[in-house]
Amino acid sequence: TYFLVTFSLKIMNIQVSQTRSLGTAAVEAEPPASGTRAIFRTVQQDPAHHSEQDLGQYYTLPPDHVCSVFPHGLPRHFQLQMKTFNETCVMVREPALELISHLKKADYSKPALRYLLYGVTGTGKTMTLCHALHYCSTQGWVVVHIPDAHLWVKNCKELIPSSYNSSRLDQPILASQWLKNFGITNKHFLSKIKTTKTYMWTKRESTEEGQPLGELLEKGLTRIKSSSDVMGALLRELRLQCSKPQDEGSGAFRLVVAVDGVNALWGRTTLRRENKNKVPHSLLALILAFCGGAIITSLSQSGSLFTPRLAYLPHELLGKEGFDSLDPFIPVPVPGYSEKEFESCYQYYIDRKWLQHSQSHTEEGKKELIFLSNRNPAVFEKLCAAL
Amino acid sequence: MAAFTATLLKPWTPRVLQIRWSRYNPYYLEPEPRKEVYSTPETELTPEQLKERELKSVRPIKAAPPVVHSSVFSDPMISKFINMMMKGGNKILARNIMLQTLENIKRKQVEKYHKAPDAEKAGIECNPYVIFHQALANCKPVIGLVTIQRGSRHYQVPTPLTDNRQRFVAMKWMIAECRENKHRRTLMDEKLAQELLAAFANKGPVVKKKFELHKMAEANRAFAHYRWW
Repeated sequence: TYFLVTFSLKIMNIQVSQTRSLGTAAVEAEPPASGTRAIFRTVQQDPAHHSEQDLGQYYTLPPDHVCSVFPHGLPRHFQLQMKTFNETCVMVREPALELISHLKKADYSKPALRYLLYGVTGTGKTMTLCHALHYCSTQGWVVVHIPDAHLWVKNCKELIPSSYNSSRLDQPILASQWLKNFGITNKHFLSKIKTTKTYMWTKRESTEEGQPLGELLEKGLTRIKSSSDVMGALLRELRLQCSKPQDEGSGAFRLVVAVDGVNALWGRTTLRRENKNKVPHSLLALILAFCGGAIITSLSQSGSLFTPRLAYLPHELLGKEGFDSLDPFIPVPVPGYSEKEFESCYQYYIDRKWLQHSQSHTEEGKKELIFLSNRNPAVFEKLCAAL
Repeated sequence: MAAFTATLLKPWTPRVLQIRWSRYNPYYLEPEPRKEVYSTPETELTPEQLKERELKSVRPIKAAPPVVHSSVFSDPMISKFINMMMKGGNKILARNIMLQTLENIKRKQVEKYHKAPDAEKAGIECNPYVIFHQALANCKPVIGLVTIQRGSRHYQVPTPLTDNRQRFVAMKWMIAECRENKHRRTLMDEKLAQELLAAFANKGPVVKKKFELHKMAEANRAFAHYRWW
C-alpha cells in the first residue's frame, strides 16, 4: 500500500506539473545536475538574501514570479533570451546590491528617497531596476512600474483631449495597457485599498468613495476613453494612502515607484501640441512627494528625443529643470562588466549553448570579444548573438 | 571673389579614390592579414621568409580588400555569401542581414535544444556556421547542364562542375529562392533562416531544385559525348 500511495502521489505530481506547464508560457526548466553546481550560478534565489558572495553570479527567477512581477518590465532583448534559454537568469551586480541595501535600511516614516541609476548605454540599468523590483515585490510592496517613460512622449497613435482638464492630452491605449499590467502585478492589493473620494468619469459614470481599487481598474479597462483619468486617479489614491499614518482599518503598505527613462518627463516631445500630457503630470506629482516608500528611476538615452548619443550623465540628460526637480536624489552609477562578471557571463553563454563558434571557446576568440565589446554587456550580447 | 571663382574652376577629384581594382605597379606586395606571421620571432623563420620580411620594409604594399579579415571569426564562405546578397554596394545592410540570419538559426535550434528531453539533445545541431556550411553543401549540384549547338539544334549536355561553380550556383539558388518565392512582407533574415534549416535537413525547394537538375542531367546522358572538354 505504501508503494501504491507513493506511486499515485508521483502521478499526481506529474499531472500537476504538466497542467502548470500548459498554463505558463515557458516549459519548466530541467533541474541542474545534483552533484556539481556551475560556478556562475548562485544557490541563493531570494533577492532579499543576496550578498557580496553572490556578486557576478546568476540567480534564477521562477516562471510564475516573472509572469506576475514583470508583465511589461523586462527589456525586449532579455525577453527573447528568456524564451530561447527556457529560464530567466539575472546576474547579481554591485549597483543592485547597493540599491537593495539602501531599501532595507531606509526610514519609511520620512518622505520617500529617490534613487537615480545612470550609466553609459547598455550597462544594465534596466536590469538593475528589475532586480530591485523583484526584491520589493517579494517583500510585499505595491509596485508602480513604468517600463519606458519615453513611450508617453513620442509615437503615440491616438491623442484625445482630456475630459478632466481640457488643456491636457490623453493616451488611452497606453493607459489601458498599463492598467492591465498594474492589475496583474498587484493583484492582492486590489481589494485591500479603497478610494477616498468620488470620481466623475463622464456625466453618467462615477465611482463612489470607499470602493476597492479593483473596481477602479475595471472601469479603466472597460471604458478606454477615460483610462488615462483612471490612471491619474489611481496614482493619486496610492500617493495619499501611502503617506497616511497606519490606522486600524487599512494595513499600511509600502509603495515603490519605478520609472525607466525618467529623462522623458522633462525632455522635449514630438507630439504636435506641446501641452503636457495628463499622465506624466500625475506621475511627476507622485515622484516628487510621498511618504512610506521608495522611488527608483533610471536614465535612458537610447529612447530619448533630441539628446546627443554619447550623453549619459544626469545633468546632461535631465536638463536643469529635471535635475532641480529630482534633487535631492541618491545617484547609483552602473558600470560595465568587471573581469569577474565578464567571465561569469561568458561561462553562462557557453553553458546555455549560446556561444557556438568553435573559435569563441579559445583564448584568442575571448580576447577578441573583450576587445570588441569593451566589456559592455549590451555590445557583448549583440556580438555573441551572431557567433 | 577671385578666390571663390578659383575654387569653382579647380579640377574635380573624387573624395574616395578607388585603388584596389586599378592596375598596381608589379613591385607592390600583397598585404598579410594573418597574425601568426607577425608574432613569430626572427629565429624561427626560414631564409626565404627572412628575405620577404626585409623586402617589406622597402617595397610599398597594396591596399587590403574589405573581404580579408584578421579576426579569428572570419569565414570566407560567409563573406562570399554576403557579397552575393549585397545590392548597390550596401555591404553594411547585407552583413547585418547575414548576422541576423545566423542569430535566428541559432535561436531556433537552442530553443529546441533546451526544450527537448535529454535523449534527443545530442542530435540537435546548434552551431549556425555548421548548419550554414552543411546546408550549402546539400544544395551544391554535382553535375550541371551546358547548352551546346550541333547543327541548328541546341542540346543540354551534362558536364561536371568545378568547385567554385558549384558553390556559386548553390548560393545563387538560395538567395533567389528567398527573394522571389516568399511572401512580400517577411524579412530576408527570417526567410534565409527558414531555407537554410530546411536545406540542412535535405528538404525544401533549393534541394529539390538540385535533385531536378540531377534528373535532367541523367535524362540527357545520351548527349554527354557532345562535350569535347
